[in-house]
Amino acid sequence: MNVIASLPLLIISGAAGLALMLGLVPHGWTRRVGANVAAGVGIVAALVACVVQWGDRVIGYHGNVYSDRFSLLIQILVLVAAGATIMLSVREPAAVDRRGEYAALILLSTAGMMLTATAGDIIVIFLGIELLSVSLYILCALEVWRNRSLESGLKYLISGAVGAAILLYGLTMLYGATGHTNLGEIGKALFTRSLTTDPMVLGAMALIIGGLAFKASAAPFHMWAPDVYEGAPTPVTAFMATATKVAALAAFLRILFGTLPAGSHDWRIAVGVVAAASIVIGNIAALRQNNIKRLLAYSGVAQAGYLLIGVASGLLDGAQATLYYLAAYVAMTLAVFAVVVIRERETEKGDELAAFAGMGRTRPVLGIAATVGLLSLAGFPPLSGFLGKLFIFKAAVDEGLIWLAVIGALGSVVSLGYYLRLAGLMWFAEPDESGRKFASRPTPNGLVAVTAAVVVVALAIGAGPMLDVCRSAAESLLAP
Amino acid sequence: MPWLAVLVAASLFGALSMFAVPEGNDRQARIHALVASGLTLVVSLVMLGNFDRGRAGLQLVDQLSWAKSVGLRVVLGVDGISIWLVILTTALFFLAIVAQSFVCCDRPRAFYGLLLLAEAMLILLFTAGDLVTFYVAWEAMLIPFYFLIGMWGGSDRRRATTQFVIYTMFGSLIMLVAIVATAVLAERHTGVFTFNIAALSGVPFTAHESIWLFAGFALAFAIKLPLWPLHAWLPKAYAEAPILVTALLAAVMSKAGVYGLLRVGVPTFPHGANTLAPVLMTLAVIGIVYGSLVAWRAPTMRLLVAYSSLAHLGFIVLGIMAFDLQGAQGAVLQMVNHGVIVAAAFGIVAIIARGTGTEQIDNISGLGAKAPWLGGVFLIITMASLAIPGSNAFVGEFFILTGTFRHHQWAAVLACLGIVYAAVYMLRLYQDAMNGPRTTDGSKSELRLQDTIVLLPLLAAMFVIALWPNAIVRQTRASVAKAIAPAQVAAGRPASEIAARVVDNPPLVNRPLPGDPAAQQSGVTP
Repeated sequence: MNVIASLPLLIISGAAGLALMLGLVPHGWTRRVGANVAAGVGIVAALVACVVQWGDRVIGYHGNVYSDRFSLLIQILVLVAAGATIMLSVREPAAVDRRGEYAALILLSTAGMMLTATAGDIIVIFLGIELLSVSLYILCALEVWRNRSLESGLKYLISGAVGAAILLYGLTMLYGATGHTNLGEIGKALFTRSLTTDPMVLGAMALIIGGLAFKASAAPFHMWAPDVYEGAPTPVTAFMATATKVAALAAFLRILFGTLPAGSHDWRIAVGVVAAASIVIGNIAALRQNNIKRLLAYSGVAQAGYLLIGVASGLLDGAQATLYYLAAYVAMTLAVFAVVVIRERETEKGDELAAFAGMGRTRPVLGIAATVGLLSLAGFPPLSGFLGKLFIFKAAVDEGLIWLAVIGALGSVVSLGYYLRLAGLMWFAEPDESGRKFASRPTPNGLVAVTAAVVVVALAIGAGPMLDVCRSAAESLLAP
Repeated sequence: MPWLAVLVAASLFGALSMFAVPEGNDRQARIHALVASGLTLVVSLVMLGNFDRGRAGLQLVDQLSWAKSVGLRVVLGVDGISIWLVILTTALFFLAIVAQSFVCCDRPRAFYGLLLLAEAMLILLFTAGDLVTFYVAWEAMLIPFYFLIGMWGGSDRRRATTQFVIYTMFGSLIMLVAIVATAVLAERHTGVFTFNIAALSGVPFTAHESIWLFAGFALAFAIKLPLWPLHAWLPKAYAEAPILVTALLAAVMSKAGVYGLLRVGVPTFPHGANTLAPVLMTLAVIGIVYGSLVAWRAPTMRLLVAYSSLAHLGFIVLGIMAFDLQGAQGAVLQMVNHGVIVAAAFGIVAIIARGTGTEQIDNISGLGAKAPWLGGVFLIITMASLAIPGSNAFVGEFFILTGTFRHHQWAAVLACLGIVYAAVYMLRLYQDAMNGPRTTDGSKSELRLQDTIVLLPLLAAMFVIALWPNAIVRQTRASVAKAIAPAQVAAGRPASEIAARVVDNPPLVNRPLPGDPAAQQSGVTP
């Protein structure tokens, strides 16, 4: 049972060790591509394991690891993001310089996220979050010759440590209040209690929501995100923007839905306020950015807000909507980031907005892929970003949180200001021919961009089956 | 035969087929576009033949399951109102592509592809039978227009497009919340969760809910129309867009707002519509006067036509919000009329601008002497635009004013000013451009064969509607009566005026009896 429940996790951990070792091979082909191949094979194998395991809950390690539809869906999303990151990192300076470490750290971070998703115990959740964070601290600082990268790693380390400490305080208080670390037992212990009359549980909830909001880069705990995103190597930024957010939302859903009494309004209001603040702050701050990565960091803050609306609704529908939107979010964010990575290498403008100028003329396919991603992030129908927002708003309105839906809608209007600015820059500006010339042949990055854009559309067309998957995942959250 | 799905698919497929055209092969792109839009036009005309005008509800319905578990379905259908708008769309887009194929542009594949995408979305909007499809089309339509203006527009196009999209999206996203709220609240009243527009009609929303929901929808419609004072995006977008796109915006896209009022707003939220009708009518009347006055002083031909369009749309809103059968039928007729006339007017503007190189009214004078055919056609369009008796617009505006006068004398009287003003600004344009000292060389502006090919069908349509308005008006009767009947009941009109039965939703037999505890809980008053 233990092995089955944690099979994908074991595969990824093994692949991480293998990649680390292959990177140490002195010369030749193995050293050049060995680590990436090991990572790729590991990710594919883990994905297959996840798909094969799809089914009812399997409990391993005495209730510390749950392998259910929810954790499997989250693991699939995280693995897809990790696979895309490995592909984006081909020829990335940081990855070329330290092949073994780079791939291994991505995989270790992925393992941390998978551990968070499968955790059935608050200690395991914390373990997973720490594993993913520590790996990311190093990854951010991996371009050691760039001050910005070092600064990014250090900032992430400090703010991440604070976030982890807050989360740990919260988890400790939860343990103190209930006497259990297992989520199921905590749920049973809390079932009859009211949160407002129990200061210990109330404090635990506030701290846990704050600590997880740190990881999800939701306002007001988002201060680190723009600087860290800007400084980190761009594929790592893409990884943080997608996979980390998935893992943080998974922890949100696992702790808040599995254990807290569904009827209680207290934590829902708290999450709702965090969501509203993220939407307002993220969207407004993104308007003034001239660096694509900073812009996407703030856009990510706003998107975290939308995802949290689904959590705040406290409904099965809300969890389902959040899971659907997470899948769409991963696809659309990857589509944009893949193009950012490509432009960073193609032009002299690096990650400035100007790098996108006139791209529609010179690289129409990439332009269309990025445009699809941006329009979906902005919530244009019929793309999957729109459907995700629709379901999330529906869950909010169902629960009487119309104000949250209205804030979300107004935030989307504001977000057009920067998403369309990027899209307009791509298609309406004259191309700048001064950049380095690259043959526009298909590269792994181009493949990621196009595939992600196709997935954005496919998730919208195939919304029915995808929603059924999300539904069963959400239901497994509530399984006793 | 799934006519409507074919209609949408044909134009959508035409748009996608542009990817298959090799770069630089303009001719092939043109052929693809002509075939796709021509096919769409033919299918829509055949569909008109299969249409049963006696029935009120949606016909030729196509249903497609999208995401069953959350109640998402794509429902397509036409009734006596939407069928005319579909035909207007297919006909005008075909003519637009014909016109465009004479003057090829930079990046033709993208241009034709986006035009066809816009056509598909407009058809989808006018045939949508459920709110989510309606919203998808409503919003997705912005994407092609955004790129059409941004990629081929004038010098200030970036600002124009951003303003255009942000303005409309503001209204739309509020509408999205309203759509979700409508479905959720309707479920509490009827026990059925659905986005289907027909199934939502007659739902007993409380007065408070009805007003707020209608306001949420009406805001989006008013911005798209646009209604004064929400029209700030219009001059910039109309001025910066390529003139062909401006013509399509004014002729087809502007109908989306009024259509939404008649299809969704008024039938679904009769109480809200009745409560807010004075507001909308006041804004419409202000819009008529304001649009006319600004058109009178407009510096360019294009802005003049754009602002005149603002005034004409005010009339259509009046006709709908008067909740009078004749007025609303006139409004539907006027939607078609305005589409045809304004497209032709923008065609004339484009021809003059091509010949003289300017759109400034002050720089053009005395073209008529050297371009008699242009003068003749322009005169016909001018007369139609100012609704001179015997023209097609006269019938529509007469119906609207009669219907409005029956219930709101003051609004009708003020709106009549609009007709007077129309004569002022249209005759000013005609006289300045065609008559007067021959300072500009008119010979270059004379109609060419290609212009005649595009304008002739429009002129023919004007004559046909002028002589035989019943062709359209009769077909709209049943559908219009059904659309406005709930609002007429809410407004307390006498039974003799209400031409359609108002449905109960949920049907009376399914409602709880008085005193039943379930009644208080669900808020339904039997």
